[in-house]
Amino acid sequence: MKSLFFAAALAVAATSASAQETEIRVHYAIPTIWADTQEALADAFMEKNPDIKVRIDGPAENYAEGVQRLLRESVAGTTPDVAYVGLNRWRILESRGMTQPLDGFLGDKAEELGYTRALLSLGEYKGKQHALGTSASTLVMYVNPDLVKRAGGSMENFPKTFDGVIELAAKINALGDNIDGIWIDRHDWRFQSLLGAHGGRPLSGDESDIAFDSEAGIRAAGLYQRFVTEGGMKSYGDNEARQAMPAGTLGIMFESSSLQKRFEQGAGDAFELTVLPTPLAATDKNSVYFPTGGSAIVLLTDDKARQEAAWKYMSFVTGPEGQKIIVENTGYAPANALVIEDDAYLGEFYKNNRNARVAHSQVANYAGPWYSYPGPEGVAVTDLIAAAMVDIAEGADPEARVRELAETLRIQLGMK
Amino acid sequence: MIRLSRNVRDGLTDFWLAGPATLAMIVFIFVPVLVVAVLSFTDYQFGARDFVWIGLGNYSKLFGSALGQKAITNTLLYVALVIPASVGLGLFVAIGLHRMLDWAPRLSHLLRTVYFLPVAATLVAMSVAWQMVLHPSLGVVNQFLTLLGGEPKSWLSDRGLVLYTLAVIGVWQTVGYNMILFLAGLTSIPPELYDAADVDGAGGGWSRFWTVTWPLLGPTTLFVLVVTATNAFRVFETVATLTKGGPAFASDTLVYALYREGFVYFKAGYSSAITMVFFAFLLVLTIAQFRIVERRVHYK
Repeated sequence: MKSLFFAAALAVAATSASAQETEIRVHYAIPTIWADTQEALADAFMEKNPDIKVRIDGPAENYAEGVQRLLRESVAGTTPDVAYVGLNRWRILESRGMTQPLDGFLGDKAEELGYTRALLSLGEYKGKQHALGTSASTLVMYVNPDLVKRAGGSMENFPKTFDGVIELAAKINALGDNIDGIWIDRHDWRFQSLLGAHGGRPLSGDESDIAFDSEAGIRAAGLYQRFVTEGGMKSYGDNEARQAMPAGTLGIMFESSSLQKRFEQGAGDAFELTVLPTPLAATDKNSVYFPTGGSAIVLLTDDKARQEAAWKYMSFVTGPEGQKIIVENTGYAPANALVIEDDAYLGEFYKNNRNARVAHSQVANYAGPWYSYPGPEGVAVTDLIAAAMVDIAEGADPEARVRELAETLRIQLGMK
Repeated sequence: MIRLSRNVRDGLTDFWLAGPATLAMIVFIFVPVLVVAVLSFTDYQFGARDFVWIGLGNYSKLFGSALGQKAITNTLLYVALVIPASVGLGLFVAIGLHRMLDWAPRLSHLLRTVYFLPVAATLVAMSVAWQMVLHPSLGVVNQFLTLLGGEPKSWLSDRGLVLYTLAVIGVWQTVGYNMILFLAGLTSIPPELYDAADVDGAGGGWSRFWTVTWPLLGPTTLFVLVVTATNAFRVFETVATLTKGGPAFASDTLVYALYREGFVYFKAGYSSAITMVFFAFLLVLTIAQFRIVERRVHYK
């Protein structure tokens, strides 16, 4: 017993003697998706870097709560060294001067390391890199092939345009009282996605003006009305629709690709839930982009020694090895090009997950920033956008309503 | 050893008994409320390093903007629906169960438990159940409606309906609690009074109710009213879990708005102003109820 005690004491002394060990604190949110993944990432990293210890904070319930906690911790002076935050929320931290720019660490070899221009754009503001994407998702179409067949359509010749999709949705909708053709959430990110599919942008290049009151914006918003009047879209909330899709009563649903795993599990053996890319409605395909949801990692510590250790951790989790762990565990698309290009990492995974390949190549090809509107009213106006989409879905004239919305936003955001 | 007079000793005992709780109240309630009151005159953003005094700016925004007014009118409508319905139904059920005690005591006890279940259950968990029951195509309610030849409704996503749906859920949740309180009130009415009423010629059901039951339930009713009103004003869980204030702010309420502005939009100053208005509403309501109802309450 005594010897055991001494052995333990010696072991403790030995680990603390190997000294130069740095500890970094990591914050993350949404344990339902991330808990196991975070453990796996930390273990894999520490195995490669025995001199760095990763301590994971208790997770926040969701990204909104996570940012709140980081703000509180910054007031109290107990900010963690590294944090995973929502891709549309890191600018809240940036605007309060909490994030440390990463340009010095990235150097000029970013492209070689798998950080493509599109992927870097997710964490860039005014020419500085403040965040790196860690997981990504874009808007895709979830389709119930059984309903498509019953409505006389075919999965092989599935329509590639919004007009075609709406036509098919109308036929599915006509199948029965409790069967719906199509659904999309009335929500800022969904609207930005449809806008991007039409080649439009929410803000002007220098972010000094609203840009969605364009032809593309009006057509994108108009889809909400056409989905209702032609495609039979009901006024579901997101929870209601997320129950209807796996239950097999909804034909086509535009949703985040991050829900793929959950929907597949929900549908089970009842039908073969299929993921298809969102149609592109712009004549110039180069103008198309899809605002990307998911998470980013930011560097918060200003201590030089801990920054070095933290950067090692950040480049590990955004590098191919870390990304492989994230993709296999969460269902998100990777935010590193190497891991997709080199079959050694995920080749086997994609062979068994056709849906994932569709979703992930859409991210790789068309990832773009999820615009957050500038200034203190930035988050609040996203709810005004959602409310305008409700109005349009319920019959308001798309052109007039979109122009009115743009004017309201200009005033709210102090652009006028 | 100094001998303290009896009065001083009594005073010290009182101080020991009430002191710690009072101190806790001051530190944990009054001081934070004061801070919130001060913040409500600033444009403070959560996590920001500085702020600007903007006087009554936040208040004029709350009362002047369409969204602020909507949150206020929605809350008032919700309260106006829930208070009478849940107090009335609570009393109704309590009288029924009280009389049932005479001829079917077991059934009465069983029903009492059933009515109390929603109170004991967590509202957030119950909201999930409600969501499934009210689902536009999969829910029991709409399937029953179509069976009867009715038109299915979007209970939680129709702008004109959503607030009424939430009010019904609110009533469902509070009826059981009010019923228990009224039952306690009913059992404490001495039976001799009914005999006396009989002798005085008030033998019918209605006149017994108006001359004996209702006046003696006065204190209970006052308490029930105050509790129901404060709970109705604080409506939050159902809004947050079922509708998130939507669609298009149709079910936005004061407490949900203050949560949204403060914790989602990070506008601590504005959300502090909403909090102060919310306090004011509650205070006015409670004082009014005590003033009005107390005049008619016959204490023993």
